[in-house]
Amino acid sequence: MVVIKVKNLSKKFGGKTIHKNINFEVFQGECLGLLGGSGAGKSVILRSLIGLEKPDGGSIQIEGEEIVSKEEDQLIEIRKKVAYVFQNGALFDSMNVYDNLAYPLKEHTTLNHAEISKEIHKLLEEFGLEGTSEVYPSELSGGMQKRVGLARSIIIKPKIVLFDEPTAGLDPYNTIKIQETIIKLKQKGMTSIFVTHDMPTAFAVCDRLALVQEGKIACVDSVSEIKKDKSNRINQFISGIYI
Amino acid sequence: MKRITEFLEALGKSYKLVLETLKVGFQRPFDSQLILDQIYQIGVRSIPLVFIVAVSSGMVMALQFGYGLAKFGGKLYVPKIVSLSIVREMGPVFACLMLAARVSAGITSEIGSMKVSQQIDAIRALGTSPLKKIVFPRLAACMVAIPMLSAAAIIIGVIGGLIVGSMELGLDSQFYLQKIFSTLKLHDFISGFGKSFFFAFFIATTSCYFGLSVTGGTQGVGYATTKSVVTSCILIVVGDYFLTKFFMVIEQWL
Ligand SMILES: Nc1ncnc2c1ncn2[C@@H]1O[C@H](COP(=O)(O)OP(=O)(O)OP(=O)(O)O)[C@@H](O)[C@H]1O
Ligand SMILES: [Mg+2]
Repeated sequence: MVVIKVKNLSKKFGGKTIHKNINFEVFQGECLGLLGGSGAGKSVILRSLIGLEKPDGGSIQIEGEEIVSKEEDQLIEIRKKVAYVFQNGALFDSMNVYDNLAYPLKEHTTLNHAEISKEIHKLLEEFGLEGTSEVYPSELSGGMQKRVGLARSIIIKPKIVLFDEPTAGLDPYNTIKIQETIIKLKQKGMTSIFVTHDMPTAFAVCDRLALVQEGKIACVDSVSEIKKDKSNRINQFISGIYI
Repeated sequence: MKRITEFLEALGKSYKLVLETLKVGFQRPFDSQLILDQIYQIGVRSIPLVFIVAVSSGMVMALQFGYGLAKFGGKLYVPKIVSLSIVREMGPVFACLMLAARVSAGITSEIGSMKVSQQIDAIRALGTSPLKKIVFPRLAACMVAIPMLSAAAIIIGVIGGLIVGSMELGLDSQFYLQKIFSTLKLHDFISGFGKSFFFAFFIATTSCYFGLSVTGGTQGVGYATTKSVVTSCILIVVGDYFLTKFFMVIEQWL
């Protein structure tokens, strides 16, 4: 079953064309990796998928629902279903880690204080962030901020998660931890898009990989196919022949 | 020409911002804690500033009028003139100009930094509304706190005049007080105090609008903050003329 369907997406910033014609689909339970050079427009694709960016043309369907034409207040339901993990964490710097994580729970669930606290401490432990609940984002390292951001995005157990380079800048130990988390979420039925430059992680968690080049999806292939065929366009991108 | 279209565009956008903010702001669940926090930030923490400005402007006016009018033997008119001008004009306008600087700079730079660090996007991405979480509490807090501060400024300013009148100009303080009460009518206070609601609205909408429209990095925040302070001040001084006329019409009905 197709969960995300993107058709003929186009986007310009000022006079600069970012997307000419983007087409792809993501199936139920799948993790689609998005590769592409820096500035290729990967983050803009993810932002468009939850309506943070308005495309100039084309269509985006999430579980069959068209979202491009939706107004801000109609997008709330979509955003509860589809989480976006920001590239830099985007934590609220006026709140400590605990309140950052509690924010989505307070807004979208009916959990009481004790349940919220339990949920948060479980997640902090899972991400190796024990003891940081009282700390403010500015006192955390970049990698820790990213992990808190990731935790905040998945805390209300969204069906679809858009990961924007969740492992960039992390140490090997935490990278593996995040891979494990994503694989565990996948086993629970999460559908996801995974933007990354980190190839080992992409191979570990993705089912298919797509390459964004010159405003289009240049190529999509399954991970097993890419591993076999060394002349594949994605393999050429990975080895630095194309950018 | 470009500036005029820019101005009209900004006017249209801020109008839309206010309408949408009011629409989502009163939707349930209603988070009064956010408003109280802002009242503390905007109102309570501005008290020292407003106090200093009000008392000094009252004292200076009494001094100026005192020596100016003494030349024509009009020193006895000081209580009347000073208290009238403070209640109707100087109290609320000075207080709101200072608040425009302090509050607009604070709000615009805070919202602007949240914008450039993607925190505004994060509020949206988490299925909530920045208008409800950020703009509405600030708008509501300004509408409550700024008129209260203006009322305080009026009273403190009049007292400042009284202090100089009795200590410096040698007027009897009993006489001064009696003159204040016989001169000032309720409609004088309504005219001065009433304006402050409009000034509060100018300050809140301008600063939220400029904060949300920040683009670029920290430089954009600085640029927007400057623009926001200048715009709120201009709206207050220019608006004051029209508001004075407006309240004159209203006073005739009272
Ligand atoms: N709000 C914006 N205004 C103007 N240009 C923008 C804006 N957002 C993105 N861009 C431009 O769009 C292009 C794509 O940006 P995007 O962030 O999607 O790149 P990316 O593929 O995610 O790169 P990276 O791997 O470095 O994160 C860039 O050239 C960027 O300059
Ligand atoms: Mg990016």
